[in-house]
Amino acid sequence: MESVSAAQSQIVAGRRAHAAAFRPLRLSGSQPFTQQEGVFIVIGERTNVAGSPKFAKLIKEGKYEEAVGVARQQVENGANVLDICMDEGMIDGVAAMTRYLHLLASEPEVARVPFMIDSSKWEVIEAGLKCLQGKGIVNSISLKEGEEKFRRQAATVRKYGAAAVVMAFDEQGQAATYEDRIRICERAYRILVDEADFPPEDVIFDPNILTVATGMEEHNNYAVDFINATRWIKANLPYAKVSGGVSNVSFSFRGNNKVREAMHAAFLYHAIAAGMDMGIVNAGMLAVYEEIEPKLKELVEDVLLNRRPDATERLVAFGETLKAAGADAGSNEEKKAEEWRGGTVEERLAHALVKGIDDYIEADAEEARVKLGRPLAVIEGPLMAGMGVVGDLFGAGKMFLPQVVKSARVMKKAVAYLTPFMEAEKAALAASGAVVKTQGKIVLATVKGDVHDIGKNIVGVVLACNNYAVIDMGVMVPCEKILERAKEEKADLIGLSGLITPSLDEMVHVAREMERQHFKLPLLIGGATTSRAHTAVKIAPQYSEPVVHVLDASRAVPVTTSLLSAEAKPAFVEQHRAEYEALRKMHSAPRLKLVSLETARARRTPIAWRAEDLPVPAFTGFRVLDEFPLEQLREFIDWTPFFHTWELKGVYPRIFDHPQHGEQARQLFTEAHALLDRMVEEKPIIARGVYGFFPASAVGDDVEIYADERREKVLARLHFLRQQTDREGPQSDSALCRSLADFIAPQETGLRDHIGAFAVTSGIGLKELCERFKAAHDDYNAIMAEALADRLAEAFAECLHKRVREEWGYGREEALSKEDLIQEKYRGIRPAPGYPACPDHTEKGTLWRLLDVEAKTGIQLTESYAMWPGSSVSGLYFAHPESRYFSLGKIGRDQVEDYAARKGMSAGEVERWLGPNLNYDPAEQDRS
Amino acid sequence: MTRAHPHPLERILESRIAILDGAMGTTIRAYGMTEAQMRGQRFKDAKKDLLNNGDLFNLTQPAMIGDIHRRFLEAGADIIETNTFGATSIAQSEFFVDDPREHGGRKAPEFYQKIVEDEFLNGLAWEINEQAARLAREQADRVSEETGRQRFVAGSIGPLTVSLSNSPDPDDAGFRVVTFDQVKAAYARQVRALIAGGVDLLLVETIFDSLNAKAALAAIREVFDEDGLSAGGRELPVMISAAVGRGGETMISAQTIEAFWIAFEHTRPLSVGLNCSLGPDLMYPFLAELAEKADVAISCYPNAGLPNPLSQTGFDLGPADMARYLREFAQAGLINIAGGCCGNTPEHIAAIAQALDGLPPRRFGAAAEPLALESEWKA
Repeated sequence: MESVSAAQSQIVAGRRAHAAAFRPLRLSGSQPFTQQEGVFIVIGERTNVAGSPKFAKLIKEGKYEEAVGVARQQVENGANVLDICMDEGMIDGVAAMTRYLHLLASEPEVARVPFMIDSSKWEVIEAGLKCLQGKGIVNSISLKEGEEKFRRQAATVRKYGAAAVVMAFDEQGQAATYEDRIRICERAYRILVDEADFPPEDVIFDPNILTVATGMEEHNNYAVDFINATRWIKANLPYAKVSGGVSNVSFSFRGNNKVREAMHAAFLYHAIAAGMDMGIVNAGMLAVYEEIEPKLKELVEDVLLNRRPDATERLVAFGETLKAAGADAGSNEEKKAEEWRGGTVEERLAHALVKGIDDYIEADAEEARVKLGRPLAVIEGPLMAGMGVVGDLFGAGKMFLPQVVKSARVMKKAVAYLTPFMEAEKAALAASGAVVKTQGKIVLATVKGDVHDIGKNIVGVVLACNNYAVIDMGVMVPCEKILERAKEEKADLIGLSGLITPSLDEMVHVAREMERQHFKLPLLIGGATTSRAHTAVKIAPQYSEPVVHVLDASRAVPVTTSLLSAEAKPAFVEQHRAEYEALRKMHSAPRLKLVSLETARARRTPIAWRAEDLPVPAFTGFRVLDEFPLEQLREFIDWTPFFHTWELKGVYPRIFDHPQHGEQARQLFTEAHALLDRMVEEKPIIARGVYGFFPASAVGDDVEIYADERREKVLARLHFLRQQTDREGPQSDSALCRSLADFIAPQETGLRDHIGAFAVTSGIGLKELCERFKAAHDDYNAIMAEALADRLAEAFAECLHKRVREEWGYGREEALSKEDLIQEKYRGIRPAPGYPACPDHTEKGTLWRLLDVEAKTGIQLTESYAMWPGSSVSGLYFAHPESRYFSLGKIGRDQVEDYAARKGMSAGEVERWLGPNLNYDPAEQDRS
Repeated sequence: MTRAHPHPLERILESRIAILDGAMGTTIRAYGMTEAQMRGQRFKDAKKDLLNNGDLFNLTQPAMIGDIHRRFLEAGADIIETNTFGATSIAQSEFFVDDPREHGGRKAPEFYQKIVEDEFLNGLAWEINEQAARLAREQADRVSEETGRQRFVAGSIGPLTVSLSNSPDPDDAGFRVVTFDQVKAAYARQVRALIAGGVDLLLVETIFDSLNAKAALAAIREVFDEDGLSAGGRELPVMISAAVGRGGETMISAQTIEAFWIAFEHTRPLSVGLNCSLGPDLMYPFLAELAEKADVAISCYPNAGLPNPLSQTGFDLGPADMARYLREFAQAGLINIAGGCCGNTPEHIAAIAQALDGLPPRRFGAAAEPLALESEWKA
């Protein structure tokens, strides 16, 4: 059976090579939709009153808002196009179609996809067309009532700019045989394309999917005829598409969903191989051909492919037993929970992987090893199959990241169990050369100078789940090491990660080196500060091979799969090239208008300096906080970013009510607290910090810090930058050009102001903790520990800031709730070097000398001025009531030169550190 | 659109960038007209203020409108637009019909059905369009003759004051004040009158609601078919131009550039482009996207920057600024037709025409094909 279909697809491929080139069907809602060659277009059928009793009921009862929910669900389930049909005796088709489409137009998530207007009544179709701002599909027109009417309908479709489904139907009736189907389709094609100037790629034939297994012998070949007609159309009618309503084929088995789903999956498998472009299906219930139970698959294919005269009786009989079994199983929910243990070992492994259950994984792995004979067969067979399902579900948005990571943990445990057997086998069969076949090999690294790797670790886990061999080189990896390793391992891809801005330049450097060394591998770029724009403008032009920005872990697999597939790669690369070209054009568009540094300084934050606004802190100099209690920090955690780390978007605590991932979020939250409990109890990580207050005055855009209240000896000098963007509205606040220096009393006022500084970490011991988890194959908790340590560091900063406000005097009365703290509703700010108000990371060096940070806390600065360990926060305290956060934005060459002189650096060096803030290209000499 | 021969404008577009005129409204304001001058004798008894109904000047101050056309032509415009941006029964009803909302009623399809059937409004709309087309025609022909360079008149078809995509009723997202057929009927009348007045082209512009524009284009199709222009090979070329917001989507119906082009490609326009809304600086990426997706001529006539009540024209950018931006667009190979929307005076157009003189037009259609093959991964 497999060889038959393989042979068929070879024939198809052969014919296709001779047929005309591909011309995509292009449609639109509020967003464009362009058909991809070889990718089946899913047309959602649930918004069809004829196909969905639930939808019909909602429309008949006038519950249109709920009916909109059905459309939303279809889109969420991956429908590319929605089929909308109101053909029912009790419904006023024109009114219902109009009202429903009006409502869908107001639903942005639905309105983005194209709609298929489905009716047998022409007035309903026209009413629908009058509601579409984009390009939809009319379903359908035909030669049923003669050529003249057909031409008129085609002209109307063109007038509104839609594509059309053409039914294989003529004056004599519906085509049932292969010969009639192709005869009518060809006739319609000639009229439309040759005479009516209809674009051939907008002609979508429906060569009639008719019901099989009706008991009538003449119906037995219907599915075969459809498939053959499809093949003929694709070979003989250039660019025309083929579609069909798939549910029809299984109509004889209504009430038996298991058989119907198997029939749909098998039918689509063969029809798509013959060239079928799209189909009307239930987007939420598409079974996978490979997953059909073999016995059922064989019986179903006997019927569909008309392979034996008794095929129908055999399937009916088998269907009845399935139905009986199904009724039994469905009766008891609780029984079902453990019922999966009753399946075959392959089923149990798949179930354990999909559900992330590791209770029985070693026993099941052992059973499978015995059954299949070799440990490798277990990995390549049921385990990889299970992970394939996980990957597909994740790709389709039906599983969320935490579940995937759990699946990976189960997988790892199984592999760990099997590894000793494999090694023994390998030793015995050294000559056989058996290795685990993988999708591809990727080298991942956080670039030199950067220590951030939670995101990269998640990407690694997701790729590993999808059967990639992942070589994770860790953090702060120099370029030469990455490239050496990639060569050594014969990697297929390199992925670079980074969080801080200097890493961007390091990535450019890696790309340049890859070009120089004639690498041929695609390069992937990811991490919080990276962007498509930066990748397109700065990195991609350095390297001749594809350089692709990966937005988050969920995009990693689609990107790598496309890049490593011979068929998909050219289109993918071409699309990226085009997008990046557009971004480069956008980037080269006229720049922002800036004011001169002189004007900017005149627009400084207007502050009337008064001694009563400048409280005196309780002490000057610095204090160290060692082994700060974690349970105290726990209270200050802002949970929203924690969920973001796991790619669950939403605001805590509302995220728990999120319709899709609320439950996931709750579970994650519970597990986070379980680990936090252990952290508090067992103290695997230590929180440590240092902070201080110092006499200070602003001198121009610098702040001088003095050794004591005599203010004679300058201990250090902080250098700040000033906004230069020329914004609208001369009266408004936004016209100001702010600098952090504005918030410290200028020297000439003679007032005695102070500044604070701090550095805290909760990362001492974190690396060891994560390694312990990893050694126990528990990547899930390793990532969890990192995510929590990050949150604890931020909580530490928040907690310490509260203490600082009290010690500074002005915060004693504030009485703020936890939410108020998170929203920073208090007086004063704590900006950090490297963040928007003062993006120059090198200022951290001054902070480190001032507080003796490394000696007091163990936090080190890397050559890129990143903090190690990563779960650390540092910054400055400003107490003035007018002080506030802002984003520096773009600055001009004049300020860069001034700043370089103040810092004693070269302008070139400043440009390197402030790359993203420059409003000019340092390579261009004469543009300001 | 089917035509017997290539339109002369098509040949011009292959060899150079054609210049479109500037803003009618902004330029009228500089003439300092009063309510009384707007009304003239004919509308002296109208109940509502008419000064902002600029389309009526075609009837009450034809000399001024003719003068503005002449100044744009002398500034170098190849194409001038008729002063008919709001010359439909639906748009004119705002100035002549009591708003039912003032009496506790609401605007709904029942109300607009009366409007599109109203004899006075239909008569007025016809007269404005026909007269406006004649005024433009007269000046274009005179300047063509004087300079030996053929000039063209585009019938301006604006976006209306009602939306087919949005519900104004907060409790009912499915409600629409007007129907597609009503909008189409109002546009059909405007199209016929413009053609009767002698325009060379039709310009559906400032599209912020794609469905309104679809009704306009369906109306044009029907007029061509029903009035025998299609059969006679005498269809007029159509230009379409959208107004997009900062995210690059049509401002009311929120359709992205590529989706918009896919929805309108079937009309086979002479050109597609962007106008109004964003100033030229913010328009760049969206224009670049459109130029990449659409294989017809590209037009661009932005506002002179953003509105600025302190500036003389009411807008930020002066002639030199506009000239510089459009020159950048031309140098990037993005445009075939350039001009200005709100805030652009004859001085702006003169500066634009001068800045674009001698620059090659964007290559499109068959001429662009060899270029398409040269694309590589690397820039």
